[in-house]
Amino acid sequence: MDLYDLGSVPALDSQLFYHALADLGREGLFLLSPASPYVCVGYHQDAAREVDLAFCRARGIPVFRREVGGGAVYLDGGQVFFQLVLRREDPRIPASRDAFYRTFLEPVVRVYRRMGIAAEYKPVNDLVVGARKVSGSGVGEIGEGLVFVGNVILDFDYRTMARVLNVPDEKFRDKVFRTLAENLSTVRRELGAERAAAWTAERVRGLLAEEFARLLGPLVPREPDAALRGRAEALRPVFQSEAWLLARRGRGRGREIRIRSGLQVLHRLHKAQGGLLRADFELVEGRLHAVSLSGDFFCYPPDGVERLEALLEGARPAEAVPRIEAFLAAEGVELPGVTAADWAALFAL
Amino acid sequence: MEIEGYLMPDELYYEKDHYWVRDEGEFLVMGMDDFAQKLAGKIVFVQLPEPGKRLEAGKRFAKVESGKWLGKINAPVSGELAAVNEELEENPGLVNEDCYGRGWMYRIRPDDKAELRGLIHGPEAVRAWLLADIAKFAKP
Repeated sequence: MDLYDLGSVPALDSQLFYHALADLGREGLFLLSPASPYVCVGYHQDAAREVDLAFCRARGIPVFRREVGGGAVYLDGGQVFFQLVLRREDPRIPASRDAFYRTFLEPVVRVYRRMGIAAEYKPVNDLVVGARKVSGSGVGEIGEGLVFVGNVILDFDYRTMARVLNVPDEKFRDKVFRTLAENLSTVRRELGAERAAAWTAERVRGLLAEEFARLLGPLVPREPDAALRGRAEALRPVFQSEAWLLARRGRGRGREIRIRSGLQVLHRLHKAQGGLLRADFELVEGRLHAVSLSGDFFCYPPDGVERLEALLEGARPAEAVPRIEAFLAAEGVELPGVTAADWAALFAL
Repeated sequence: MEIEGYLMPDELYYEKDHYWVRDEGEFLVMGMDDFAQKLAGKIVFVQLPEPGKRLEAGKRFAKVESGKWLGKINAPVSGELAAVNEELEENPGLVNEDCYGRGWMYRIRPDDKAELRGLIHGPEAVRAWLLADIAKFAKP
């Protein structure tokens, strides 16, 4: 297996190389970091919807849409990327996706443990310390290849991550920031600044190379050759085109930001006859948390909304409607022009 | 027919990556089978190419995203993409809810329906294939 230990590379090259290698039908492992920050959105995402493109443009932060799934992420030199390109027929690829992640995240788990961080694999593809996610990963089938990408997060700029996202308002942005800060951790946070300083990007790439070699067999260091560079250059204008970046014009009915497996921050809008309903809430292991209801509907008595919010704490989304209905009937709270179907639409997953 | 908890209707043709094809005369309809949708978990995105697209049997023509995986969908036969299930744009979860009904994906105008013979069909063949895949996917 070829190893491309590239160190720090220009931002877009940190995505282009693995796409190019997969396109060429070759195998290899890339270990690298981007020299400057950028935003990377998932294949199925509409960049204009997910990302504050005007802010990114003003700050000179490029936006890239990858051929791998998942959500929008803010990437910078505080992260070390591993990008493994395999041919789809490679016999080392297990049939089941769970088994794939379990097998191919094992080297990353071991890297964290060697740094003194008790990371654990959490299905399907998270690495966690307690409830905190410490590494992200994803798989995409590109060309004849299967690409497995992920990162070791040395340090993270939570504030900018929350800033680059397109959100309905600043209150929602703050919620995203807080849940990110609480649920996404870094080597620096886990070890403390002093101990973490020993783990430079270069040393982490070294650990990754050693641990992936245990899984994949000997890794042969090499530089990107003419064919790989040529293909990357051919792909560059395609990936940089507006047509590619904005290809997905999903409509949708709100916003959903996945913080880690089992934790999402959601913003939902629904137009009822009685007015616009807005719900902001977290979904924690399948249960509603910190529900905030607003909009231009009418509620009598006015404190009914607050009581409704409290009542939904800990409910499964499917339980929301029966709980609301029972509450309205028992407490005599009135929301004219808002029906059970409207609540169901607001909390449907 | 139900095999080990997976619903696999007898009248359908199956592509080895677990997409089904239904013969509706001039057109073929395809979607994801019950085994694949259960294994994949929640489907979050189904790519819906423009109708009119040329399809080559065995070649990728769309992508589907689920459970942290962006996968490919290969054309089961050669032909032309006649229609896509627009409902999946808003609600890709229909594939999980009703994979043989409202969760259908594509309608294809085949060049030659005889190509259906290259797919897996009939209770015995489907059972043998599915049981083999269940064993394969159960491997750690």
